[in-house]
Amino acid sequence: MNVPSELLAKIDEAITHYPVSKRSASLPLLHLWQEHFGHVSDEGIAWIAAKLELSPINVLELVTFYPMFRREPAGKRHIRVCRTLSCSMAGSYELKAAVAKAAGIDLEKWKHEQHGGHGNPVAISADGKFSVEFVECLASCGSAPVAMVDDNFKENIKLENAAVLLKLERSDAMLPKVRPAHPREKRIVFKNIDREGWTNDIECYLHDGGYAELKKALGMPRADIVNEVKASGLRGRGGAGFPCGVKWGFIKQDEKKPVYLICNADESEPGTFKDRYIIHQDPHQLIEGMIISCFAVGAKLGYIYIRGEFPEGAQILEKALAEARARNFLGKNILGSGFDCDIYVHRGAGAYICGEETGLIESLEGKRAYPRIKPPYFPAVLGLYQCPTIVNNVETLCDVKHIIKMGGAEYAKIGKPNNTGTRILCVSGDVEKPGYFEVEVGSVTMGELINDLCGGVKGGRKLKAVIPGGSSAKVLRAGEKFKLKDREIGLEDIPMDFDTLAACGSMAGSGGVIVMDETRDMVSTLNNINEFYAHESCGQCTPCREGALWMKKITDRVLAGGGTEKDPDTLKNVADNIAGKTICAFGEACSWPTQSFVLKFREEFTGKAQKAEPPPMPPEYTSDELIEHATIETIHDRRTNSPLAPAATK
Amino acid sequence: MSTETAAPAVPMVNVQIDGVWLQFPKGTRVIEACGQAQKFIPRYCYHPKLSSPGNCRMCMVEMGMPKMTPDRKPVLGADGKPEIAWIPRPQISCAQDVAEGMGIRTGSPMVEEARKGVLEFLLINHPLDCPICDQAGECRLQEFSVEFGQGESRFLDEKVKKPKNVELGPRITLDAERCILCTRCIRFMKEVANDDVLGIVERGSFNSIACHPDRILDNNYSLNTVDICPVGALTSNDFRFKMRVWFLKETKTIDVNCGTGANIIIGSRENTIYRITPRENNDVNGVWLPDSHRLNFKYVADERRLTKPTVKGQPVDWRTATAIAAEILKAHTAEQLWLVASGRQTNEELFLTSRLIDALEIEKQHDILPRTGEADGLLIAADRNPNTTGAKLIGLCTSKPGSRLKKLVEGVRSGAIKTVITLGEDLTKCGLTADDLKKLDAIIALDILPNQTTPHATVLLPASAWVEKRGSMINVKGRLQRLNRAVAAPGEAHDDWEILRDLIAAVSGSNGLAVIEDVFKAMAADHSEFAGLSLSKIGDLGLPVVTEKTPEPEPAAAN
Repeated sequence: MNVPSELLAKIDEAITHYPVSKRSASLPLLHLWQEHFGHVSDEGIAWIAAKLELSPINVLELVTFYPMFRREPAGKRHIRVCRTLSCSMAGSYELKAAVAKAAGIDLEKWKHEQHGGHGNPVAISADGKFSVEFVECLASCGSAPVAMVDDNFKENIKLENAAVLLKLERSDAMLPKVRPAHPREKRIVFKNIDREGWTNDIECYLHDGGYAELKKALGMPRADIVNEVKASGLRGRGGAGFPCGVKWGFIKQDEKKPVYLICNADESEPGTFKDRYIIHQDPHQLIEGMIISCFAVGAKLGYIYIRGEFPEGAQILEKALAEARARNFLGKNILGSGFDCDIYVHRGAGAYICGEETGLIESLEGKRAYPRIKPPYFPAVLGLYQCPTIVNNVETLCDVKHIIKMGGAEYAKIGKPNNTGTRILCVSGDVEKPGYFEVEVGSVTMGELINDLCGGVKGGRKLKAVIPGGSSAKVLRAGEKFKLKDREIGLEDIPMDFDTLAACGSMAGSGGVIVMDETRDMVSTLNNINEFYAHESCGQCTPCREGALWMKKITDRVLAGGGTEKDPDTLKNVADNIAGKTICAFGEACSWPTQSFVLKFREEFTGKAQKAEPPPMPPEYTSDELIEHATIETIHDRRTNSPLAPAATK
Repeated sequence: MSTETAAPAVPMVNVQIDGVWLQFPKGTRVIEACGQAQKFIPRYCYHPKLSSPGNCRMCMVEMGMPKMTPDRKPVLGADGKPEIAWIPRPQISCAQDVAEGMGIRTGSPMVEEARKGVLEFLLINHPLDCPICDQAGECRLQEFSVEFGQGESRFLDEKVKKPKNVELGPRITLDAERCILCTRCIRFMKEVANDDVLGIVERGSFNSIACHPDRILDNNYSLNTVDICPVGALTSNDFRFKMRVWFLKETKTIDVNCGTGANIIIGSRENTIYRITPRENNDVNGVWLPDSHRLNFKYVADERRLTKPTVKGQPVDWRTATAIAAEILKAHTAEQLWLVASGRQTNEELFLTSRLIDALEIEKQHDILPRTGEADGLLIAADRNPNTTGAKLIGLCTSKPGSRLKKLVEGVRSGAIKTVITLGEDLTKCGLTADDLKKLDAIIALDILPNQTTPHATVLLPASAWVEKRGSMINVKGRLQRLNRAVAAPGEAHDDWEILRDLIAAVSGSNGLAVIEDVFKAMAADHSEFAGLSLSKIGDLGLPVVTEKTPEPEPAAAN
């Protein structure tokens, strides 16, 4: 294998980011390889495995798990259209078809080519110039539909302009934007987002008083920082809402093992698009928050695990880290404090499950992102490299900086008790002005968010339903009444805080609010969500591996006209058999939508039922397929030409 | 009465299982504790010899911990036992150890529902091809479906299709559709065989076991993955489609391919062996067996097997053959005789051989043929004879097996040795050439198959293979273990010990041994290591009888 010296230099440099385990460099090396060669061949897999002293299967496992990696070349220009809910509501299916048409790609021809069996094949034009594929949520739901052309990002794509993607030369992610905050907002973390004259370089940040909190924190006893964060009441912004200070408190102050801190920048819950803007526009805020947090928990090594679909974000963070290093905000003896710390960026490669903290840790260790069983693998005890590890969301880590600035008690005054601080709410779907809004937690109601901040339901139509906290949160139906301790409220009266949304049977989750108007078909909405979770299930444990796809197949069939009256009950029961029975919270994430959609919109499911009884089972194999049995796609051993490793087909 | 109560080495913890409080040593896995309490927990991914990934979700139970007062003291119920706060969702029992005051429910509605759910999930994409599946009859998916699953299928949609007939390696075929992705095979290869060749490719419901084309599953322990595969996903190329497992007669015996003496089960039907699988013995082989050992049984059914005694190539009856052999022996002086015994003989055969040596008064004119190879660090011992320890103990060789063979060669070449008895060994492997053999007056050979020596044999006595006889052997660690008969010897072939008994009788008069138990009794009288034992008392798992570690034999002196 001829590896050019400049690629080799990059590879060797990437490996230095992982002083504990070379295996961790697997994903970075695969990215470098694919950037250079366009795809990762079997030879490439073997080369990388040898380089990292791994068995080649260890690398093959990754290439087939992470959808960003390709084993075959794509077109010269590769277009990835976001398929997930908000984009599909904004027409991404039509967009993909239009792009394919403009590029001369015959999607029919590629229909049966399976990409990991999930039905999102990379379809290539006859001239090899273009290729297109669907990808799952690109985390820009407020500017749907969106797409990526190689590493360039394009938002708000009009169907009639689909052809622009064929010659896109710059990225919308880098476009300077100016957008004033809504009066109802309280901008703390998003203070600099879309701010006039703001740039993401360190001079701009320093000019605005940046890194002052780091200096302050380095002068504080570490325990005091933890206590300030505890006093602030800050709850994690990634989805689970776990109190940050309590999490940090799990790390012993005199811990003898190395401690690691990981920033979870794998923003991938459909409907959520907040971290994207912090990373692109205000990376130093995150880095400052992260260094303070590293200091507080005694971590000398930190990683920012950023989703693979943010290539520019990764570059921006790398540049920002270099700037911080140059000014001794990172490195040895930071600002004379005696504290050594470094942070590296680690790119994911298209797997939602990496947002689950133990899946993320496995992924960072260079493995398939299989979440770990807890007990015993609580990250604070047995995390990265089996050492105590803290994983925090981007927004949470940014909040830390502000808690140091204003003090925990003062921060706790923002928002409501047990729901302190601000939250960035991301609104997408059927509203006039989708976007992000940083508000005091609980200071706006669902109705105010939709009608005031977002300008109301699109086209003056009626509200039908809202998913309040990312697509895994249970759907809330317009007209539904929610019993709280002291009163009964309607959907539009729900204050957007952790506790009330939980009391209403859903969750604040990651702050992604997806609004559906009266024209939306709930079976097809659920089907879109089911496809996402079926695609993203890691497949490690039985209920989710089998159940997530089953639910998707049922909604597929109902939409195709094969529904039965038993389907709603079956759907609900399948979901019940997943939730609470899996290794990680993905089990809940994939079953809550089904449970709530079927419960609240049952009539739409039964309305599509064509038959009272199930149709006869389809044949397992057609006679043609049986004849072709031996040719079901397999990897062939080059030496013996015997089939070895399988590639699944649908 | 004062009984000394030494503090237990491991502290015990109190655990309530299905309402009954029991004690278990700290560190006991919940799944094992339930098993010890006679509450079997179904499982797929869990294997006591491998790490616990907790992925199959089959072993879920209802679990609880003691209710605590605000000052962290357990709340006691009316019976003085801790009250249990039950966790509202089922928990896996394979990855957690028992804890003080823990409560477990193994058959509650929550547990039953969870099991039904998991089994339904495992079956929706399963091909349900039990009629032609080799695992049928010993398939955990079948067994648990019957015991814990539900009769009805609600799955109406198209199944996921995955690769079938995938050759993972020279001895293993994968049917990915049958696979339930428990990852036992992957973990075995990584953790036990230290050969990280298996993995999972694709994602989610499309996950499939695979290996990379550059490194296939050709490890000498690969067939253990078939043993531990709970379903019919991994099948042995050697066994597949050969026999329904429920027709197999299972015979517990030991492997004879090396000095480890791995415990095995021979699966046979109507006198034909179909497969050999490992049998658990944690003092010997755990639950594993090398491929090379388990597949080495085909020669037993070889059509060239010796089935009739011959004298100078002519078939004779046993009485004639034995008489002629005895005459030859009696016609020579003790100095003219030499005996080559074998490290493959059972203790009983070795003991009778020693009686024959006594009768012939050839005290130092005998040895065994050593066989050595490289130990593999796992189960294959450097000593490739299964019973060198027995041969030493009973005195068929010195502490350096094979060291006397050069005297045999010298004696034959000088003409001092005129007749050689060989008990299952090819003399050309002992340093003698075909020309040397031609110089001899006579060769009395006992064997199961033709070899370089048998054409030269004056008297050739057809014997039994290791799967056709009873007896005992002592492994390299000094453990006495038992061989059992799985199939009958072909034709007129006799049990080796009977051949030896008859030869001794013909040479020196009757010795009164009627059954093999008598041989063991006589041996026990002569050798204190066997005192108080009998073949039945050895048991299925054997007993340590030689405490000192027997040194590995030196390389063969001959050749």
